[in-house]
Parts: sequence; C-alpha cells; structure tokens
Amino acid sequence: MIDRIVGAVVFMISASAFWVARGYEAGFGDPLGPAVFPQMVAGAAAILSLGLILRPDPDPAAQSRPAMTRQIATVAVLAGYVLLLEPLGFPLSTTLGTGCLALLFGARPLKAGITGLAVGLSLFVIFDTVLGLPLPFAPALFG
Amino acid sequence: MDILTSLIGGFAVAMTPLNLALAVFGCFAGTLIGALPGLGPVNGVAILIPVAFAMKLEPGSALIMLSCIYYGCMYGGRISSIMLNIPGDEPAIMTTLDGYPMARKGQAAKALGISAVASFTGATFATLGLTFFAPLLAKAAIHFGPADYFALYVMAFATIGGVTGVNPFKTLLAAVLGLLLASVGLDPATGTARFTFGSYHLYDGFDPIVAIVGLFAVSEIIMYFESHATSGAGPAKLGRALPRLREVFEGFPAALRGSVIGFICGVLPGAGASLGAFVSYSTEKQISDKKGTFGTGDPRGIAAPEAGNNATVGGALIPMLTLGVPGSGTTAVMLALLVSLNIQPGPLLFERQPDIVWGLIAALYLANVVLLLLNVPMVGLFTRLLSLPQWLLMPIVVMVSFIGIYSISHSTFDLFVMIGFGLLGYALRKFEISLVPVVLGLLLGADMENNLRRALSISGGDFGILLQSPIALVIYGFTALMLMFSFGIAMRRRPDPLSD
Repeated sequence: MIDRIVGAVVFMISASAFWVARGYEAGFGDPLGPAVFPQMVAGAAAILSLGLILRPDPDPAAQSRPAMTRQIATVAVLAGYVLLLEPLGFPLSTTLGTGCLALLFGARPLKAGITGLAVGLSLFVIFDTVLGLPLPFAPALFG
Repeated sequence: MDILTSLIGGFAVAMTPLNLALAVFGCFAGTLIGALPGLGPVNGVAILIPVAFAMKLEPGSALIMLSCIYYGCMYGGRISSIMLNIPGDEPAIMTTLDGYPMARKGQAAKALGISAVASFTGATFATLGLTFFAPLLAKAAIHFGPADYFALYVMAFATIGGVTGVNPFKTLLAAVLGLLLASVGLDPATGTARFTFGSYHLYDGFDPIVAIVGLFAVSEIIMYFESHATSGAGPAKLGRALPRLREVFEGFPAALRGSVIGFICGVLPGAGASLGAFVSYSTEKQISDKKGTFGTGDPRGIAAPEAGNNATVGGALIPMLTLGVPGSGTTAVMLALLVSLNIQPGPLLFERQPDIVWGLIAALYLANVVLLLLNVPMVGLFTRLLSLPQWLLMPIVVMVSFIGIYSISHSTFDLFVMIGFGLLGYALRKFEISLVPVVLGLLLGADMENNLRRALSISGGDFGILLQSPIALVIYGFTALMLMFSFGIAMRRRPDPLSD
C-alpha cells in the first residue's frame, strides 16, 4: 500500500516538474534547450512511478513508537543546533547539541554533559585553531 | 613499458611524507569506520570529504586519503562480522557465515588472520588489475563521442541496481529522481533558472557533497533507532592475539579464486562489493564444500568472500577513473570529491594529470601493505574499540559531518538542506529505494545533459545521432540485456540472499 502512495506522490511531482519545465525557453544556437532534458527525466519518473503503483512491494515493518519519538527528537535537535550555531557560537551550540544527542542515544545525563563539553571544545580546537577554519566563537556574548 | 615508468612516477608522488602520513591515517580511520557496525565505506568517505576540504589538501593528497579510507573500510568490515556476528558494512555479510562460527570455536584470532591475508590478496590482485587495465580502457575511451557518453550514462543508471534482485522499478526511479534533483539551479548552457522557485540559494543547485552527507550519514542516524534496537551479544573472545603463519595461509587458494571473481564484479556496472562477496562465497562453496563444513567455520568460507569484496574496490575504480562513471556507491562519492576539486575523471585524466592517477594507484599498493601491517598485530585494539558505546560515537559522527559541511560554505542554509536530504534518505530507505542511484543521478545529471546537448548540436537537433555510433549501439544492447535480466529476476521473486 505504501508503495502505491509513494508512486502516486512521485507521479504528481514528476507531472508538475514536466509542466513547470515547459516554460523554459530555448536559447539561440542550442538545439536542445533547457526544457527537454528535465522533461525527459520527469517523463521517465512518471512512467516508473506507474510501475510502483501497479506492482507494489509488501509494506515495510512499522517502527515502534519509542523509536519514532527518538527519531523526531533527533531531527529537532539537529534543526535546533543549526538555528543556534551562529547566534550562540560553535563551542556552546556544539556542547548542547552533542549532549542532547548523547542523551537520545542512551547516555546518562552526567556522561552526556561531559561528552558534550569534550566534543564541543575539542572539535573547536581541532578545526578552528589547528586546521585554521574560522568558526563562530560566541557572537552573542562578544558581538 | 609505459605503465611501469608511470607507476614509478606515482610512487614518487605517494612517498612524500605528507601523502604517506595521510595514507596511514586513512587506513587506520578506514579500518575503524569499517569495523563499527552501521558505518560503511560510503558513510566514511562522505563524512571525511568535507574534512579533506577543510584541511586544504591538494587534490591528489585528498584522493589518496579517501581511497585509503575506502580500502580500510573494506578490511575493517570483517572484524565485527567475525567478533559480533554483525557485519560492519554490507559487503561483510558473507563473512559472518563462517567467521562467527570460527570465533565461537575459539579460533577468532585465526579467522581474523585468514581474513586479513585474504583481504590483502584480493585488494592487491585488484590493484594490479587497475594498474594494467585502466590505461587500456582510457586509451579506448578517447574514441568515445558525446552520443557514446550519453549511452554510457544511460547504461550506468539502468544497470546500477544490477542483479541484486531489488525491485528494478525502484532503482530506476531512484536514478531519475537523482537526475531531476540535478537539474535544479541555473542551466549552465542557457542561464535559465530551473526549479529554483525564486530562491537565490538554489541557483547553484544542490551541492552533491551536502546531498551525500545528508542522504547517507544523517539518514543513518535517524535509522539507527530502528535498526540497532537489539545488539546485546558481547564480542567473542579473541584468544591468542597472533595466529600461526601456517594457519593463516590455509585459505590462500580460495582467496585467489575470490579475488578474480570480486575484481570482475567490481568492474561491471551495477555489481559492487556485496555481489562480489556473495558470488565468491557461493562459487567457493560449490568448488570446495565436499564435507559440508561451510557455514560451520570453514576457513575457506572466510577467505573467499573477504578476497572477493576487497577485490571489487580496485575493479570499481576502473570505470570511475577512466570513464567518469562510478561502479559502486563509494566510487560515486569519490567522484563527487573529484568534481568538487575541479578534476574531471575520464580518459583524458590519464594524459593530463598523470600525477594524480598514478600517485593514487601507487598509494593503493602502499595502503595494502600498511593495512596488512595494521590489521594483523593491532586487531586487538580494533576489537576493543568495538565496545565503545554508541552514545559516544554517534554524536561525534554527527558533529564532524555538520562541521565539515559548514566549513565548506559557511552557510546554515546548506546545513538545513543536508537535514532535508537526511529525511529524504530516511524515507527512501524506509520504502526500500536504494540511495546510490539518487547520488549517481545528482552527480552525473549535468554531464549527461551536456553530452546530449553536444550530440544534438553536432546533428543540428536530430535525435537519430544517438543511435548512429556503433559504440553507443553496443552499450545500448548490453543495457537492454542487463535490464531484461534484472526484471526477469524480479518477476520470479526468488528469495534474495543479499537483502535483509
């Protein structure tokens, strides 16, 4: 069943890509133009997605609820890390991010905190100081 | 004796202190990444590409480090197969069949020794093959025109799923999705903005490296909570650290047979290391399993698949370096590195940048020796590292991938794109759609379109040119044959030993 849904979604995406690409104008002296290749590809995708709708595989195993909660939390931590990276600076945001991830992967709070601190500081030293990549240190504190 | 002269020149490049140090580091890191369950060669190379950029390495040096990581991963995959009965990466699955039973019988050291020698045999055989066949193929490939290249790309996409028995619709769909993603951004020939939805961030298209790290590494982290919920069994006892020399060579003839099979599987498009290991094991079983000892800890059952999966690496590098068409997931990732360094792989690479090619090949010979030296005496260290807790390793892997990508562009937009690709990768894996064709499409899309453009401007817009060259026709014929084969297998739906 899931395969049929995936097939339908891909079909819609490729059909709309085909539709959008139709507007791309051909340049002078370029017999192919910018529209043909995306349209060929989108057409192929549409045909193949029909194959998925007509011959679906059995459904994959659904994951358990705790696994799903952790997965969503992990993605949230990653997104939060990226949002905070520039305002908080690299060492602090990485300490927080690593600590939260360690918790999600089953560490005790104290160990997670130590891991976060160690990873945040050592990666900063390795990349910023040793390898010479300028990373934001703590813009919120020092402007 | 062109080849010998070039190879000596290559050794001069590879033996510089920096390159030698990078090779040793790559071998060590690779073995470790390969040994850790869940992180395979594709992940290892993908995560460390941005690091190679960050270190501002010369293209040749970066390539040497990453190839050594690739070789190292293939060596390392066997360690957790034998000790934990969990393959460190996909190609090492076959090694669990006889490796773990041997370890349970208290012969872990012997099993590790045999597999190290078998890995060395396979990898060295394949590197020799690379040395002699790649220049020949490069010479032949100079005669390829744009229409032939277009055919070659069609073949690469149509056959990447190969004969693995996965639903061929899904593999092909993955490839065209990758091609569609590749057309996002400004069209290089006309400057038309395609599928950018008005966002300037998308004008450059998707950086393949951002996409790769997202698709593989980030999705692996999300997937982790489902796949690794159960891993309670502790490692088998190592016993004596060094095996006896005579024992180690017990599987040597099997390793030689495995090497030949693996090398061929590596060169063929769409086959790859898993198939190399699988075919080597089943062939060896047919040849030598007279007493039904395979599966209970037969040394030959370790030697054959280990030689087989290591031999595919050298094989897979041949089409990647000479044609620019990778034959496996890891070589696809390495192609992304080359493209980012402005090196165009293909037949001309051998003429224009012999330092890079021959330096790489020489480094691979050195890597084999280093890996053998690392793996026999230091196997105890790697085994101990296997028991490091996941809550320590996984966050470090995540942070190194994020810092790597951020260091390339200093843009948090790229990091969000990477998380987005991570979610896409997770969804695709969940639907059992393979990720490698997506990457391949994303990487080769622009070149495929360029070659189509060139062919059509030669013919003045007549699509007939695509079918006029005999080279292209042969390639299409082979493609059709492979497609019929893979659809045939899928229709029969035999239970497939490679998928889990």
